[in-house]
Amino acid sequence: MSWSMSWSMPERAAMTAAAPFLIVGAGQAGATAAAALRSLGHAGRIVLAGDEASLPYERPPLTKAVLADAGMDGRIGIHPAGFHDAQAIELRLGAGVVAIDAARRLARFGDGSELAFGRCLIATGGRARTLPSLPPGTPHVHHVRTLADAQALRAAMAGLRSLCVLGGGFLGLEVAATARAAGLAVSVIEAAPRLLSRAVPPEFSAWLAGRAAAAGVALRLGRSCTSIEPKADGVALALDDGSTLHAPLLVVAIGQTPEVALARDCGLALHPHNGGIRIDAQCRTSAPDIYAAGDCASQVQPLAGEELRLESWQSANEQARIAAAAMLGVPTEAAATPWFWSDQFGCNIQMLGLPGAATTYHLRGEAAIDGTPRFMLLGLDADHCLGYAIAVNAGGDLRPLRALVGQRIPCDPAQLRDVSIPPRQLVRNALSAAASPSLS
Amino acid sequence: MAWTRIAAANQLQDDEVMPIALGDTQLALFRSAGEFHVTDNVCTHQYALLSDGYVEDGCVECPLHQARFDLRTGEALCAPATRAIRVYPVRVEDGDVLVDVLVDA
Repeated sequence: MSWSMSWSMPERAAMTAAAPFLIVGAGQAGATAAAALRSLGHAGRIVLAGDEASLPYERPPLTKAVLADAGMDGRIGIHPAGFHDAQAIELRLGAGVVAIDAARRLARFGDGSELAFGRCLIATGGRARTLPSLPPGTPHVHHVRTLADAQALRAAMAGLRSLCVLGGGFLGLEVAATARAAGLAVSVIEAAPRLLSRAVPPEFSAWLAGRAAAAGVALRLGRSCTSIEPKADGVALALDDGSTLHAPLLVVAIGQTPEVALARDCGLALHPHNGGIRIDAQCRTSAPDIYAAGDCASQVQPLAGEELRLESWQSANEQARIAAAAMLGVPTEAAATPWFWSDQFGCNIQMLGLPGAATTYHLRGEAAIDGTPRFMLLGLDADHCLGYAIAVNAGGDLRPLRALVGQRIPCDPAQLRDVSIPPRQLVRNALSAAASPSLS
Repeated sequence: MAWTRIAAANQLQDDEVMPIALGDTQLALFRSAGEFHVTDNVCTHQYALLSDGYVEDGCVECPLHQARFDLRTGEALCAPATRAIRVYPVRVEDGDVLVDVLVDA
């Protein structure tokens, strides 16, 4: 939609003359929102402020390509070189916003300067969760959230023969896979009895554990640390089964904490459990003219029927798009079905939907441990409606299922498992059965 | 010009794609709304074959990270891809699909 269609000339002039739109946080959500404001026709000033000095970059490669290859550092920009100049997006990088006065619509920067804004988007993301016994800066201990983190870990890995990862979630497993591929001996310690326990069903965890073990990763599942002690040459860990481990390098990958200090200080409502900035479907916070998007934001997910903080690249992009439209008062499509990917142990894993939307899982294809397996695990709810689908090396097969996930259309489990029926045909069959329920 | 026969026109239905190997060049042949399109088969974002992707509305979506490309122009339509894929001239002759692969390096 062009702005000449949606706004009258006087409105346009008013918007141009109005105070700038300020975006706090120059990660995936912030950078995407800035671009979306322009592509939706906003002609006024846009200020994109971030704490990191780098131009906005993609975080997914940090645990994969960037960790493996220094040549990637300059190739992960969210936008091409020159984009922000060309789009007249003012960058304030390196000394981000340190305080927001919501009532006066005023932001203060780290260098002491102030900016009066018309509307503000908070996209401050999150930071790696840390252990009290291993604060950031502890020698031989790494976290991965920023490009600088990934570069530091890469440099540290270069001289080592082994490392230990604390946490068997996506981030920890991607680091483990990359380190293993680089020839390091890798152990992963996970307190839960299985990998990715919050994101996938047990049968998928079992397959992934097999895949990781086959790649040579030593998995210590269901084990927590009874003591963690920094040493001169690494970190000494004692596990609750009485075993001990010396890690020359420890990667702490135990999740993320939303970065909400600014939001809290200026009085925005936060979610009592997930800690995120509460936003409505248009990404509006509890304060007028202040919006939020990305990892820091907590929003009702219709598919799950509850308010969640989704830490995902796609959700950051979707919320950024929706927030930008809302800031301009123009209509936009509702958020796409949640989608997430991970690349690890030679497999591309994609998830469509949300784990809370499925209760029983059906395997389509063969979940082989070796080679390049290609399969999907399709999760149905009590009414046989598809709520969550996991694809391994089968993104093309997963894609058509977007028409079903979250659409309350019952599926025949036998058909879902039948690989002789192409995915597009599965969708057609389900849709036509739903249109004539008497035949089902 | 180096028109090369790469497939029979009846090998593809609408919204289908097949990989085409011409020497070391990996191409993808698409059919969309009755028209044929040939592009490079490898996504510009990361190594993935677009012939494993999803074809709809004149676009192909990469199977790896859902970057979407316009089949006529090659333009990258959404993140995470920012660079276009190369597209090649195509014509149909006597039921065969031909592509002009004489392209500069």
